Amino acid sequence: MDKFLKREKEFQELDRISKMLIRRDLVLTELREKREKELEELREKTITLEKSRIALMNILEDVEKARNLAETEKNKTSAIFENFPEGLIFFDKENKISSINSKVQELFHLKEKKIRLIGQNIKDLKNYFSLIPLIEILGEEIKVFYQKILLIKTNLILEVSVIPVFTKERENKGKLIILRNVTREKNIERLKTEFVSIAAHQLRTPLSAIKWTLRMILDEDMGKINGEQRGILEKTYQSNERMIKLINDLLNVARIEEGKFLCKLQKQDIVKVLEEVFILFEQTAQKKGLKFEFQKPEEKLPEIKLDVEKISLAFHNLIDNAVNYTDSGGEVKIAIENLTEQKQILISIADTGIGIPIEKQDRVFNKFFRGENAMREETEGTGLGLFIAKNIIEALHGKIWFESKENNGTTFYCAFPC
Amino acid sequence: MSKILIIEDDKFLRELIVRKLIQEKFEIFEAIDGEEGLKKMKEAKPDLVLLDLILPNMDGFEVLRRMKEDISLAQVPVFILSNLGQREDIEKGLKLGAVDYLVKAHFTPNEIIEKIKVVLK
Repeated sequence: MDKFLKREKEFQELDRISKMLIRRDLVLTELREKREKELEELREKTITLEKSRIALMNILEDVEKARNLAETEKNKTSAIFENFPEGLIFFDKENKISSINSKVQELFHLKEKKIRLIGQNIKDLKNYFSLIPLIEILGEEIKVFYQKILLIKTNLILEVSVIPVFTKERENKGKLIILRNVTREKNIERLKTEFVSIAAHQLRTPLSAIKWTLRMILDEDMGKINGEQRGILEKTYQSNERMIKLINDLLNVARIEEGKFLCKLQKQDIVKVLEEVFILFEQTAQKKGLKFEFQKPEEKLPEIKLDVEKISLAFHNLIDNAVNYTDSGGEVKIAIENLTEQKQILISIADTGIGIPIEKQDRVFNKFFRGENAMREETEGTGLGLFIAKNIIEALHGKIWFESKENNGTTFYCAFPC
Repeated sequence: MSKILIIEDDKFLRELIVRKLIQEKFEIFEAIDGEEGLKKMKEAKPDLVLLDLILPNMDGFEVLRRMKEDISLAQVPVFILSNLGQREDIEKGLKLGAVDYLVKAHFTPNEIIEKIKVVLK
């Protein structure tokens, strides 16, 4: 029995152990599975991490590329800036030099190293003697302007422009100064004008001789002439006068193009100036059988700054056209009024003449323009009168325009601020 | 009889104006350049000078300047008779003391003589 019991116990023990073993095995399996799962997760995480790393590397690479690109761009821009054939200075918002190219140093014979110029305020640049004329034209505030001519010395003429620089977002970055060496162009222009002036002057001498001779013959200083001779000589005299007029016009055009047609401004009564020109044409208009009128304003007009000689020439040309291109029986009416609301003085010169063909109207103020109908009618014109008139009126801050219909007449208007 | 000195380098122009002036009973002296003009001025003591501007040797502006520096000549009225007609030339001439500035191509001999007569009266 004992033995049996003992055995029984042993079995029980064995069973317990085996159960325990099984349980342990179970736990172990569970553990293993858990670990494997963890491992799996770890592996997945590693992959993600690896992916992130690659992504990060890519980003870094892109940044590097962008940086290189920016660097290249910057180098390109500064190379363009540096090698630009015109002098360039870039002032930042505080009017300090931010960039300057070698051309500027060359133009002004600046020995100072560029790096030492950068960061200097325009006010401090006065220390560089050769830069003074430039600083004077720019002003301490660096005003914006376009294509001003700056004479540095006889063999150096610059055309200076100041351009404000804005980003796409309209942020003000500063101002760019562009210095163009126009010495050669200006010299050619000067030579051309000088040539025209000299040629015109040289032509005037023989023309004076012809004028004086014809006049003396016509005045019968050298004996009597018959009617036929007088007729022909009168016409010759008039041809010569036309030639003298053409030369005067050419000289005026040369002066306008030279920019030398300077205005001597003085406060003037424009009504009086216009009336004086009007009077000059009264006789011609009467002879031609034109109704010729001058409508003066009732009240006194404010005086405006004018160059009497030049504005008289402009009015002369306008009235001359009106009288010339209007046939007998027609009408030329000159009026002047004060448009108080617009603060303007308006002058109109209206004729009932041949008019300007519509297809030619946009060329009216061009040099040597002449309407075909005008050329048929009247051979005298030089085609310079309106060009000269426009240049004079605009130099005096006025405006000129016209309305015209072929065979119906033309009205020229000029307006001056007052 | 008033004495007039004409300083003009163009022979034909000079002849024409001289002919006209003689008809008008003036006593005429002629010079073809600035230097000769100044010399004749001192000798002849003219009542009026007709002065061209573009002249060989010494130009008309210089003649005028020297006249004004010379007490014996400073009071002699001068008419500039030139074909330079730009405002600067005219202003320069008048500033230097010319009585009038006539552009040759713009005046007939009669008109010039009328102006001379007014000054000499």
